[in-house]
Amino acid sequence: MAMDRGKGRRKAGLWAAAVVIGFMIAALPLSARAGNAKKGEKIAKTRKLGNCVACHYLPDVESPGNIGPNLVESMQGYTMADRKEVAQWIRDARKFNPGTIMPPFGTNKILTPEQIDDLVTYLYTLKK
Amino acid sequence: MIKKISNLREVLACAALVLAFTWLSGFSPGGARAAADNKAATTIEELTPSMSYKEYHKRYEAYYGDTTARMAEEGNPADFLLDDGKDLANKVEGTKGKSCASCHAKDALKLKGAAVKYPRYDADLRGIMTLALQINTCRRKQMGAKPLKYESYDQLALTMYIKSLSNGMPIKVSIDGPARPFFEKGKIAYYKRQGQLNFSCAICHVQYAGYKARSNLISNNKHHADHWPSYRLKWGKTGSLQRRFRGCLKNMRAKRPPLQSETLRNLEFYLTYINNGDLIQVPGMRM
Repeated sequence: MAMDRGKGRRKAGLWAAAVVIGFMIAALPLSARAGNAKKGEKIAKTRKLGNCVACHYLPDVESPGNIGPNLVESMQGYTMADRKEVAQWIRDARKFNPGTIMPPFGTNKILTPEQIDDLVTYLYTLKK
Repeated sequence: MIKKISNLREVLACAALVLAFTWLSGFSPGGARAAADNKAATTIEELTPSMSYKEYHKRYEAYYGDTTARMAEEGNPADFLLDDGKDLANKVEGTKGKSCASCHAKDALKLKGAAVKYPRYDADLRGIMTLALQINTCRRKQMGAKPLKYESYDQLALTMYIKSLSNGMPIKVSIDGPARPFFEKGKIAYYKRQGQLNFSCAICHVQYAGYKARSNLISNNKHHADHWPSYRLKWGKTGSLQRRFRGCLKNMRAKRPPLQSETLRNLEFYLTYINNGDLIQVPGMRM
């Protein structure tokens, strides 16, 4: 009897641990996940989300802004190894340019890490 | 022994769960808004004007063409407020049986040219007196009348009428003496990065004036203060400069101080000062 109870407890403990690990994986930020390019494109082109097109040129958008660089041109300079750097530009561009006008999408929680990941994945589809 | 280990596991699992939840809840959008607003910046960011006003104006003409001229041809809907404003200036109100005209002559014509020095420092207020606040102060102190609610039809009409008596005259705001600290505060407000998007008035209207935010040409801050109250197509009605400030602050996802609050009065003071020399032209009309 005593042994059985011990086993049951151990099982419960293992389950709890599994759930926790599941949560951790779901919340794993950035580079470790693949990101969804289609979602990323929507984020880039929706005013209440990323609204990248307010300042940047992106294809298939009516009258994008011209405050920031053309992102198709910018993306040609990056390889897959630069994923973290591209994400950092979105998360907080002040790291590269302290006086930037670009909103710190990560630091100020305008977008979630998942959304930023989706955006990065979308941006890489612009590489020719 | 087994029991002890499994207990330890449960404790660890619980601790990890708590950690994971805190980690996750930290990602809630908008959470940083308050934190971003609290960062009290007192330094003026060094910005380079994007281009000369002349160059900006060239871009404006090229982009919008004769849109504004065509709007003017069809007449300004805010013109109706002028007539009502004039009537209000002659209307007796309050416990003292007076109107604006009682002190400032029929149609308040003695106030011709008075608006060019507004906003100004006021010793009683120990702060910045805007034209709108001056009218309400006069009503309270001289007429014994109720203040007019800011942005109400009557308040806008009366302010616009009195300001129109200075139409065509250059703005001449003084920042000398005791006014100086309020000018500095206004300038800090103009340059302070704020809100979730981390913008300031200046970053757009100084450093990126003449560039396009989506399909909007970002305006140069010259002529920003010379035409209020103004009719605005986007509002479909007439409004004040401070209403416009609040609209901008909303877009910046920043805190919006109330109309005629100290912050907005100082900001109006700074902006009007940098527009010194621009000719007053009310009612304005903008897209």
